[in-house]
Amino acid sequence: MLERRLQGSEAAGRARTDQAVSGERLTTSSTHVSNWLNDQRVIGTLFVMPALLILAFVVVYPFLTAIWMSFQDKMVGAPAKFIGFGNYVELFGDRHFLKTIRNTLVYTLFAVGIKFLVGLAMAMVLAQPRRLDFIYRTILFVPWAVPTIVAALSFRWIYDDFSGLLNNFLIGAFGMQDVISWLGDPDYAMASVIAVVVWSGTPFYTMSFLAGLKAIPNEMYEAARIDGANAWQEFWYVTIPQMRRVFTVVVMLSTIWTSTNLVIVQVLTNGGPANTTQILPNLAYKYALLASRLGIGSAVNMVFFPILAVLIYILSRRMLAERE
Amino acid sequence: MAGVKSSTDHRLKWLGNFCLLIFIIWTLVPFYWMFVTSLKKHKEIYGTEATLWPKDPTLESYHTLFFETDYFLFFKNSMVVALSTTFMTVLCASLAAYAIARLDFPGRKILARGMIYTYLVPQSLLFIPLFAIMVAVGLTNSLTGLTLAHLGFTIPFCTWLLMGYFLSIPKELEDAALVDGCTRLGVLFRIILPISLPALAVVAFFSFTLSWNEYLYAIVFNSAPSVLTIPTGLSNFVVEDVFFWGPIMASTVFTVIPPLVVYFFFQRWLITGLTMGAVKT
Repeated sequence: MLERRLQGSEAAGRARTDQAVSGERLTTSSTHVSNWLNDQRVIGTLFVMPALLILAFVVVYPFLTAIWMSFQDKMVGAPAKFIGFGNYVELFGDRHFLKTIRNTLVYTLFAVGIKFLVGLAMAMVLAQPRRLDFIYRTILFVPWAVPTIVAALSFRWIYDDFSGLLNNFLIGAFGMQDVISWLGDPDYAMASVIAVVVWSGTPFYTMSFLAGLKAIPNEMYEAARIDGANAWQEFWYVTIPQMRRVFTVVVMLSTIWTSTNLVIVQVLTNGGPANTTQILPNLAYKYALLASRLGIGSAVNMVFFPILAVLIYILSRRMLAERE
Repeated sequence: MAGVKSSTDHRLKWLGNFCLLIFIIWTLVPFYWMFVTSLKKHKEIYGTEATLWPKDPTLESYHTLFFETDYFLFFKNSMVVALSTTFMTVLCASLAAYAIARLDFPGRKILARGMIYTYLVPQSLLFIPLFAIMVAVGLTNSLTGLTLAHLGFTIPFCTWLLMGYFLSIPKELEDAALVDGCTRLGVLFRIILPISLPALAVVAFFSFTLSWNEYLYAIVFNSAPSVLTIPTGLSNFVVEDVFFWGPIMASTVFTVIPPLVVYFFFQRWLITGLTMGAVKT
């Protein structure tokens, strides 16, 4: 659709340029400058230039450098040395690195899965007719606007061993005997991290799903009801199929952003205890910023890139195709 | 039959209300705990029981935060970066989106596609090389460098969003002005942008929020005390380990205020933004 529109406006643009050109032949040279300034090729290039230069500098060039750098032995402030697959060989020879890959997969799978389910439940509840519904909507969307660092810090305090809200609540309300070290105990650390990721990331799902639910024509539910469908069947045979498109886009976007976000892990556990919550982006950070080894840090990030590239490719095709 | 139906509806409604209550508690607990902690005395915070309301509410933590740390400086730096990012995004994205949506020039289709690609490339892939680049050009420890880095994710998304909006504006509106000798820049600023105010509001809202909340670039590029933004400043509070939870919670309370104010004003555009493109989490 976008392509078609672009083509249409291109044709129109060409017609206008032709007009300008033929007009130019008839007029004196004093209008030459203004015609030149109306040439779409010139104006168009000038208009995109600021955005293009900035993006080339902070996205395109760094991205290409990231790939190249992963094949280099590069320290901060020192000249780089090409070492082929040296960084990758070092990484895959390390038992901890394989564990980090596994952690990243588990973390992403559970975080995305839970956000999906909670987001869908929230959206369905918000879609029910209710008085003052905009208030509830506003509240449930709030974590979206909260800086991730704030979410991470406030949960770190909630998880505090002795003075934290969670342990005190469990002791007071359920008579729990011993405090649980939510972020220090290898059995609980990953789950505690994922809970925070879910808290801060669910609103994106809720918003998208709510928009999707509202776009389902009411006639479809009426038709299902006439056919004698119960609430569950309506959900299963009308809602779910109608939402499929929204589901895939949201899950793909969220997978890209969840698997590459290190803020929450870094602030809560920084990969500990005993590397149980270490994920790739946080490991990359450690290599690059704490050990100053930029090359191997880039290689850590590149390990997941093939998966991300596929997601990015599919998503970009969908986003282009859906633009109307 | 009708009776069965309405009793199911009734049950669903109450199940919904119950879930809603749980969701609201789950969402609000961290805010409540943040706020309550910030009002407690040091001794009460680290006491053996977690009181749900301060026994003796005090502004001690706020006093520490404002007078014994550089929080105001962090706040100012974050404001400068977020506002510059917003301004630059609106400017660059409007120009680029108008060109891609309306003008015939070589490479526009590739650009339309490229905007999505650049938007989807995750930050974690870029921060290491970008750090090396910033070091090389001397833009580390500067608010300019950080603003530029933030433009890397605000411009693609906002250009994409504005393109969609501009394409929905009928061409006839500008044709008349062009015939009358108005320049393209004139058309953009006098005709297109004034009727695109809702979309520009969305763009400004997203740019401000994303820039204000951004953590990774901020912590990687800037370490000099004079250019720290809030996320870096806050995480330093924790790392240094000399800091206490009272002032930290006080600082989080203050940090959420600007994005929340913007959010409450603009939240109805959030869904609009979603239907026009995808929202970054």
